[in-house]
Amino acid sequence: MQSMSDLTLGDLDREGAIREAVELVSGDTRAAFLSKAVVGGGALLAAFAAPVAAEAAATSDVAILNYALTLEYLQAAFYTETERLDAVRGKLARVPRQLGAVERAHVDAIKAALGGAAVKRPAFNFRGVTESQSKFLKTAVAFEDLAAAAYKAQAARIKSPALLAAAISIHSVEARHAAWMRFLAGVTPAAAAFDEGKPVSEVRAIVASTHFIVARPKKSAKKRPKYTG
Amino acid sequence: MPDDRRLEVFSSSGADCRGSSRAEFVARAVLAGGTLAAGGALVASLPRLAVSAPSPAQDQKILNFALQLEYIEAAFYGEAFAKGKLSGDLLEFVSTVRGHERAHVALLKKVLGRNARKQPKFDFGETTSVPKKFTAAAIALEETVIAAYNGQAANLTKETLAEAAKIVSVEARHAGWIRAIAGRNPAPDATDQPKTAAEIQADVNRTGFVRSS
Repeated sequence: MQSMSDLTLGDLDREGAIREAVELVSGDTRAAFLSKAVVGGGALLAAFAAPVAAEAAATSDVAILNYALTLEYLQAAFYTETERLDAVRGKLARVPRQLGAVERAHVDAIKAALGGAAVKRPAFNFRGVTESQSKFLKTAVAFEDLAAAAYKAQAARIKSPALLAAAISIHSVEARHAAWMRFLAGVTPAAAAFDEGKPVSEVRAIVASTHFIVARPKKSAKKRPKYTG
Repeated sequence: MPDDRRLEVFSSSGADCRGSSRAEFVARAVLAGGTLAAGGALVASLPRLAVSAPSPAQDQKILNFALQLEYIEAAFYGEAFAKGKLSGDLLEFVSTVRGHERAHVALLKKVLGRNARKQPKFDFGETTSVPKKFTAAAIALEETVIAAYNGQAANLTKETLAEAAKIVSVEARHAGWIRAIAGRNPAPDATDQPKTAAEIQADVNRTGFVRSS
C-alpha cells in the first residue's frame, strides 16, 4: 500500500491547503471519520458537508481524489494553454478545445467533491509542448495514457462505491482520449489486450521528469492563477 | 449468510436490484455533453446505493456476464476478419482488436474455470461483411461493453476490479479508435455512463446477434 507521503505529487503544497481549511473547521467531532494517521481529512469533509462525507469518506479516498485532481489540473492546463496559443489549427483545432473542456470539467467535479480538502492548482511551465501540433500530440498521447494508467492503479483502493463509480467513469474516458490521440499521432491506439496500471511512485516520477509543474501554489485564494510558460 | 437477493443481480429475468440509481446519479452528477452542474457534481444527490456486497460468488456471476459480451465481440471481429471484406483503417482495426477480445475471452474462461458459461451461437448478418454495418455494430458493441464493466465496478471484489479495469480500458481504446475511423467524436462525454445488467442485456438482445444460450 502506498503511504500518504507517496501521494504528494511534485511540489504541491497539499499540507498548506489542508492547514488553511482546518482553521475553518468548527469543533464538530466526527471522530468516527478521522483516521489516526492523518490530520483531519475526514473532519474536513464532514465539516464542509461535501457529498463525499455522506459515506464517511476515508482519508485515503481524499488522498486518491487529490492525486487524481493533480493529474486533471495538469491535463486541463495543458489543453487550455494549447488552445490559447492557437497551436493546433485546421481539422484538429477542436481537439485541445474539446479535451480542455472535459479535463476542466473533471477538475471542477473532483474539486467539488473534495470541498476544502482539494489541493490547489499548481503553476505550470509546459516548455514549448503547447506551441506546435506535433509536440502537442505527442504530449497528449503521453498524458492520456498516463491518466488512464493512474486511475487504473487506484481503482481498487477507493473505498466509497460512489466515488469508485465516478472514477471508473472518468477512467474510460481518459482511455478513449488516449486512443484518439494515438490515432491522430499515427501510432496504434490499443497496443495490448490488457492495459496495466501505474502506481503513484511511477506516475510521480514521470510527471517530475517533465518539469511541467514548477512552483508551489499560492496559499491565497486566487481563483484563476495564471498559467506560466 | 449473504442476502440471496443480492446474488440475483444477473437473474435470467434481467432484474437488477440496484435499479437505475447508479446510472442516474452518475448521469446527473457529471458532464452530459458539456455542461457541469454546480457544486458537488461528482457525487451529487447521492442515493441510497443498494450496492451488492462484493463476494467471490458475485464476481463469478459478473464475470460470466462479461464473458457473454467478450464472446460476442471475439466472434464478431473474428468473423469479420475471416470474411475479408474490410480494408484500410477498418482492416487494421479488426486485425488488432480480434486478438484482444480473444485474449479477454481466454482470461475470463481461465478465471471462471468449469463455471465459465458456454459460448452461444451467433448470427451477425451483414455486419461482418458490409463495412458501414460493421462500423456501426463495432461502435455499438464497444459502447455496450464499456457501460457494462463500468456498471459493475463497485460490485466486484477489489482483486477482480483491478483486472476488470485493465480490460475496460482497452475496450474504451477500441471505442475511441473505431469512432475516430468512422469520423465520429471518439469521446463525446466527460464521463462514460454506466449501465445496469438489465440495460446491458436489453442492448444485447436488441442486436439479435445471440441465437442461443
